[in-house]
Amino acid sequence: MCGRRFRPGLEKEIRLITGTSVGVGRTATEIGSELLVALIGNPNAGKTTLFNALTGLRAKTANFPGTTIERRVGHTRLAAHRIRLLDLPGLYSLSGTNPEEKLVRDALLGRLAGQRQPDLVVLLIDATNLERNLYLASQVLELGLPVVVALNMIDLAEQAAIDVDVERLGSELGCPVVPVVARTGRGIPELRGLLESVVHRPWTPTPLEGVPSPEECEGCPFKARFDWAEQVGLRCSAGRSPAHGRRTDRIDRVLTHPWVGVTAFLGIMFAVFALIFWVAEFPMDWIDRGFATAGVALGTWMPDGYLKSLLVEGVIGGVGGVLVFLPQICILFFFLSLLEDTGYLARAAFVMDRLMRRVGLPGKAFVPMISAHACAIPAIMSTRVIEDRRDRLVTMLVLPLFSCSARIPVYAILTALLFPHRPVLAAVVFTGAYSLGIAAALGMAFVFKGTILPGESRPLVIELPSYKLPSLKTALLTMWDRARIFVRRAGSIILAVSIVLWALASFPGTDPPAEAHSMLERAARLSSAGDEVAAAELTRSAESLVSQHALANSFAGRIGHSIEPVLRPLGFDWQIGVGILSSFAAREVIVSTLAVVYGVGESGADPDSRSLLQTLQQAERSDGTRVFNTATAASLLIFYVLAMQCLSTQAITRRETGGWRWPLFQLGYMTVLAYLCALITFQLLQAAGVT
Amino acid sequence: MSAAEQIEGLVRLDQIDPGHCGIVRAAGEGEVDVDLLKSMGVCLGRKVMLIQAGDPLILKVMGTRLGVSARLAAQVLVEPCAGDAFGQA
Repeated sequence: MCGRRFRPGLEKEIRLITGTSVGVGRTATEIGSELLVALIGNPNAGKTTLFNALTGLRAKTANFPGTTIERRVGHTRLAAHRIRLLDLPGLYSLSGTNPEEKLVRDALLGRLAGQRQPDLVVLLIDATNLERNLYLASQVLELGLPVVVALNMIDLAEQAAIDVDVERLGSELGCPVVPVVARTGRGIPELRGLLESVVHRPWTPTPLEGVPSPEECEGCPFKARFDWAEQVGLRCSAGRSPAHGRRTDRIDRVLTHPWVGVTAFLGIMFAVFALIFWVAEFPMDWIDRGFATAGVALGTWMPDGYLKSLLVEGVIGGVGGVLVFLPQICILFFFLSLLEDTGYLARAAFVMDRLMRRVGLPGKAFVPMISAHACAIPAIMSTRVIEDRRDRLVTMLVLPLFSCSARIPVYAILTALLFPHRPVLAAVVFTGAYSLGIAAALGMAFVFKGTILPGESRPLVIELPSYKLPSLKTALLTMWDRARIFVRRAGSIILAVSIVLWALASFPGTDPPAEAHSMLERAARLSSAGDEVAAAELTRSAESLVSQHALANSFAGRIGHSIEPVLRPLGFDWQIGVGILSSFAAREVIVSTLAVVYGVGESGADPDSRSLLQTLQQAERSDGTRVFNTATAASLLIFYVLAMQCLSTQAITRRETGGWRWPLFQLGYMTVLAYLCALITFQLLQAAGVT
Repeated sequence: MSAAEQIEGLVRLDQIDPGHCGIVRAAGEGEVDVDLLKSMGVCLGRKVMLIQAGDPLILKVMGTRLGVSARLAAQVLVEPCAGDAFGQA
């Protein structure tokens, strides 16, 4: 028989850790001090939206179970206190059976290194589903910490004719309850007021009537706790529209259908990429022109010399060449956030599970896979939700094959080279590049399943939340957050690599070729004869010859030439070779490298100074053929879809696997795969006469 | 589960018809994924509805839809019943 009194299940544990008695007589910290407040709740309860509403800081909305893998911290200010708010991962219980539950339990018990126990817990409960959320609530309340319940989505509960007795719920749980709508900000001032009042008075936990103690309870502890949750739910809420959830059921019949669902998923992703191309074209053009104009202005104003060359070619050419892709990154993350917020991404995971399991990946790998489309680093870190070591290792090994945002600039420039001013075909290629990354990842997982990492993946368990209107504010904040990261990266790693590359491409200086001297002399004679147009043309040709000669004899040129024989079967010249080597640290650096080695903006005062795309379109080999013909552009695109080319990802794989064995294996297999596929692509296209 | 499967009147959760309900009477023990399923509401005494059959399948329990691998659902035995998927039997 289960006990019917407050169950201090973790009380002894807390007392041992903190050396204090839990809860009873607990008082808030002094006025003016900083309070540590933990935010906790079920996945899809709107926790991260509430975090944004309280702090104004950016954080991804957790409408997709497991999105918030790591705790996030934000700050806000009450009348008498500064609040440090911890956004903890969404979870269903505090049992500690998976890494997220353990992390949250440790945070609440003050066990996390360098972080004290929270002064207060904000417990988020979904008003449309009290019973389910009360399971976790009962475990949180047992910890004895001061708790304020934020009853979220009260508007949706009202729409579903669910009448929640807020006062009764507060009395049952023994803590203050405030109804809120985190998405619109309704109830947030009241919640802030409650936080202030709770921290100003001693906190004594109220026993939860009917919650069983494991020591006293026979049978299934889940059952007894859910029975309690259901009883409280029944006492505190009434009514439920029979139509509630029918809309979601109807949509799910289509979007979770085995074949229609997969087709819909591909269609949705295609539509997003098509929009990226159409909408981003205009701001990209503005940015491109802005950098070109800045290069011209600086070139006109500054005297010739290394400093001018560094600023115009190294800084403006390099960083500008990457920043031009900012609009595409913004639009991608805006739409991904909207899809996530509607609840669709959970369906995408559901329909993809069948396929993933066949290749030996667990359903849970879909969350890191979605993240990997932003960046492989957080994705690899988020594989911690996968308990099984084999499943986790396979997922980590294939994650860098998914197209991360750093590849977008590379895809964009190569797609534009393949199909300039043809957005539909460009979208097809873009979707194809993403699809190839997905197919390669699944294919390699299948190979690993049958070879070095045999075994079956863990089964899928995922919540499919009700569809709801997405939050525009959240999407904009997500977009802003990603844009900030991208710009910061452009201002640090890419800037540094651009400067190093400029130095490698500029030194050691060489004497101009004799042919350039004679061209300049002829130009001077033409000018004296009054033929200024021909003189200017000849001068430009001479300058171009000088630049090419200098680059070919520079350090970068020498390195590029030395590896050219290996890359020539792929259709790459020595300049592209320099780009591949320089982008080993970060993929997108290839774009800025190409800008530097092909001399974007180097004509300085020339009012017709060309953009990167124009420069690459017109780049020629020594035999007069175009460098970036269809076969080479396609080969380079395939190479960048599949190649590792990210030092940071390697470092994080090493950290997560505890050694260099797996990251080196990852680098090896991806490089070989990229080389072979690019080789096949180039050779097939050339054999078919496509150049 | 093979022994439990022989309990009279009980069927595996993945084998009930779509749109039908069952009361959970037995579930696998000691497996992390089954425990997760239990903490999401698929535990003894709960009423569960099968929304969509297949692998994975869709369940409704306590008003929430769950996407669950059929392999995992096969470890849950239910007693077929009528009604919706809210609450206890």
